[in-house]
Amino acid sequence: MSEITQQTPEGGTPIAGENPVYLKDPVLDATVRMVVELAAQVWIERERRITLESLLEAQGTLSRAAIESFKPDAAQAAALKRERARFIEDVFKELRRIPPTV
Amino acid sequence: MSAVPETLPALAERADAAYLDFVEGFREYILGKGADFEDRLNTVLLTEQARRGQPWDDVEQIREYVHSLPLGRLRDRLSRTQQEMKWFALRRSFESQRAELLAELDRYDARGPGRLELDPNFVHPPYVNVHFHLQPGGYYKDALSGYLYHYGTKVFFRGDNDHDELHAKLVARVPAPADGRVERILDLACSIGQSSTAFRRRFPSAEVTGIDYSAPMLRVAHRRAAMLGDDVTFAQRLIEKTGYADGQFDITFAFIVFHELPLRIIHETVREAARVTRRGGIFAIYDFTGTRDKSPYQRYHRWFDARHNGEPYSQDFCDCDMNAILADNGFEVAAAALGQRSGGAGYMTNWFATRV
Repeated sequence: MSEITQQTPEGGTPIAGENPVYLKDPVLDATVRMVVELAAQVWIERERRITLESLLEAQGTLSRAAIESFKPDAAQAAALKRERARFIEDVFKELRRIPPTV
Repeated sequence: MSAVPETLPALAERADAAYLDFVEGFREYILGKGADFEDRLNTVLLTEQARRGQPWDDVEQIREYVHSLPLGRLRDRLSRTQQEMKWFALRRSFESQRAELLAELDRYDARGPGRLELDPNFVHPPYVNVHFHLQPGGYYKDALSGYLYHYGTKVFFRGDNDHDELHAKLVARVPAPADGRVERILDLACSIGQSSTAFRRRFPSAEVTGIDYSAPMLRVAHRRAAMLGDDVTFAQRLIEKTGYADGQFDITFAFIVFHELPLRIIHETVREAARVTRRGGIFAIYDFTGTRDKSPYQRYHRWFDARHNGEPYSQDFCDCDMNAILADNGFEVAAAALGQRSGGAGYMTNWFATRV
């Protein structure tokens, strides 16, 4: 457990600092955070896919086969890469919070 | 029939809403029966207590034992993580539309019904300089604090605060003064004014005033009330030094603010409430349950919340005797009743006190 704390001018319980370590090893803390973050990201995608598939089916505008064979053009591919970078940052930003020494 | 306007701020993207939806569900999971940390850890604590042959002396002893358990440490990690995730997503989503959100507040500042009274010379006392619940910028340092708080408490209350449900329920339970006269109501530390508007709806002819130290909160409170068509005054004032005349209010109300005050300010606030509440008027408080009513796990949760969730004053509040403080300041307290709430170990108590 990290012992870095801040005290308010009016006393009370000292408040933990920015990056408390709960699991004795900061790598373990980061790993747990990444797992939860990944779960959030997976849910975002699942929620969107369910939404899209429901809309597409209801409107009869697209078949499942068309989704499977989709090839992005250059602009779409660039947009996908930007999305991928954001996804990776969301999940792995935790790595920056591991202090070099404990 | 026209729909009730949506006062929750819109998020930038559907993905942001889905992310926060996940956090809300995950929060429910780790605080409730999903991960079942509370019951499992409390059972272990009671077993250990029996083995030692004496009750847990202080929370430091409980903390030491919980931290010796991998399950206890993981519970802490996940509790902190869900809170950090919430603010991370909210801040990013609102940051990307900061200019529009501020312009929206500008549009409402001078619009009715109701009015907004900000004090350009307001000085924040040092004790409020805390990032309560880890909210970035605390309650007043970011112009978007009110929006962050509104969406943050929606996630926090897990379905009880999508459309002010909790506030409406708690305000409905507040007793009116015995003589039935309710002309003026004061909502102390009103934040974004959800209780204030609930009071206005319950007593449509009463003059309702919400006060808070945070201008960003009050601006959101005013926008919200104006959108809902509720005529409420929101004023930037200190709850321990309101500046209102003696005996001016029939009902004075404080919803979960006392645990965010240092003991010194708790005493000052009760004294001030006694001054501004007329004889026979009601001072209604909802806040955390005191330490002596808590299980070992709940005492631990209170410590964790204080230290790791930006609630530095909450332990002192839970240890203090509010009944005695109220009585010392001229209030007669009806028996404090427990408002149980599943999960979170933050069970609320209410004090419905009459000014004598």
